[in-house]
Amino acid sequence: MSNDILFLAEFNGGAPARSAIELATGAAELAKQAGGSAVGLAYGRGAADGAASLGAHGATRVVVLGDDDRPAITYAAAAVAATREAGALALLAAATPNGRDLAAALVGSLHVPAFGPVRSARIADGVIETEQATLQGRVITTSRPAEGAPTPSIVLVLANTFTPSEGGQGSAGVTQAPAAEESAFGAATVAESHEADAKVVNLEEATVIVAGGRGVGGEDGFGPLRELADALGGAVGASRAAADAGWIPYQLQIGQTGKVVKPSLYIGAGISGAIQHRVGMQTAEHVIAINRDPDAPIGEFADLFVVGDLFQIIPALTDEIRRRKGS
Amino acid sequence: MKIVVCIKQVPATGADKRYTDDLRLDRNGVEAIINPLDEYAIEQALRLLDDGSVESVTYLSMGPEQAAEALRRALAMGGDEAVLITDPALAGADEWATARVLAAALDKLAPDVALMGMASDDARGSLVPGAVAAMRSLPLLSYGSELKVAGGEARARRLSATGFDWIAAPLPVVASVTDQVGEPRYASLKGIMAAKRKPLETWSLADLGLTADELSGAALTQVTDARAPEAKPPTERIENLPAAEAAVKIADWLAARKLI
Repeated sequence: MSNDILFLAEFNGGAPARSAIELATGAAELAKQAGGSAVGLAYGRGAADGAASLGAHGATRVVVLGDDDRPAITYAAAAVAATREAGALALLAAATPNGRDLAAALVGSLHVPAFGPVRSARIADGVIETEQATLQGRVITTSRPAEGAPTPSIVLVLANTFTPSEGGQGSAGVTQAPAAEESAFGAATVAESHEADAKVVNLEEATVIVAGGRGVGGEDGFGPLRELADALGGAVGASRAAADAGWIPYQLQIGQTGKVVKPSLYIGAGISGAIQHRVGMQTAEHVIAINRDPDAPIGEFADLFVVGDLFQIIPALTDEIRRRKGS
Repeated sequence: MKIVVCIKQVPATGADKRYTDDLRLDRNGVEAIINPLDEYAIEQALRLLDDGSVESVTYLSMGPEQAAEALRRALAMGGDEAVLITDPALAGADEWATARVLAAALDKLAPDVALMGMASDDARGSLVPGAVAAMRSLPLLSYGSELKVAGGEARARRLSATGFDWIAAPLPVVASVTDQVGEPRYASLKGIMAAKRKPLETWSLADLGLTADELSGAALTQVTDARAPEAKPPTERIENLPAAEAAVKIADWLAARKLI
């Protein structure tokens, strides 16, 4: 076994996903603590050409699992073979549907410990030690592999847990994945592909999110939220109620069954703060809630709770921010 | 054509939950329910039963004896029969052990579709469906907002980065569905009465050809500490101010934290 730290690096449409860059950074930090190297497992369109660029974010080496637009899970057999060969201490996977699918395949195939989604990780006594929020955020637990547990530990990592290192010049060594056994496990294919009517951003990559809920009242109600998000350089998100009502695409839903986000600033407007929404945003660094109801549950965990009409406050705030930014 | 829906009994959402001194979830005196996200898997299976895509729905759960209540509740919503896997050696089972046991039971039940919820309320790794698929060497169709079964294959509608895809795989498959499949139905009084007469079997590890040794320790991970989150400063409030003044105060707050 080595002290290397593996990470899954997803590529989309020719470029690395933000998660790939964050995980490269995180794997490099952990590898430094462990005295090993950060090794990427890259998949998706653009992986072959882009693999070396992960060196700029801390990867020493990158193994290319494949370079097509296929469901992520079809790379599982290659990921298992590459992970077996690498003999690493831990493997970081993004806590996204694709990351979880591949992590699950590794756990099921290799009989290794699984952690997460974690909010931080470090190396202690030669093993990985993780922290996660459980029971809807009411308890923080610290976990590590049981004595003598096999490696690598599979660690699901929330977006924005690691801040990407920028400006690096390094280039990672690139190798191809070892031959994998054929398995029905990866037999899924994309039978049809549909584009959404509106362009949707990847919320997990946003550092500022302005989210709307039932109180926004309709599709048009998101207009002022969008303007505020633009003024702050952020993105618009939503609660499940707003997505279910069809006011906004499901890709922008935040919560237990939507995206789990960790922006530096989250502004929730017209969102009551049900527990299912809370688990999707409770790790935001700063939380502002705007709600007409002074007793809304979101007021209990927001850092700043503004009681009032979002349709008056949000445009006024947008103007004030633009004024201060001098635009 | 047969579906097995895997369900888990969990402490009620919002119930007062805590860890015991030996760092396990304390389930004593806490109301237990069907994991809310599993109810969507039940609903999806029953819709496939209603429209004739499948002929039978079986429920499968692993847990203590009380988990039979969750299976009875599922049977009251519809479906045909249920199996509970219960064994003292399974206390504290982690995701690998859970997947191993479910995989063995599914091998025995041999459904065309093994269906699960997208996550459980009390552990959010969401790794069990994928691990079961890997162990059984079957295709995985995960996070579907709708599942169709026809012509020897299953199709799942799944959100993509920019829209949605239909992902297809030949049967048999392991699948998971999200809360977008539609609201779970309520059990009718008639359903509740009928559920009492539906078959519910109990299996032990030995019935699955598994030994406690294989699963022993049952967990590859250990919790070394459980504590309350760091205390946050109390919420600051802005109330009873005209919008323009509130906006200035919010902007000051943001500026003080270098967020603008």
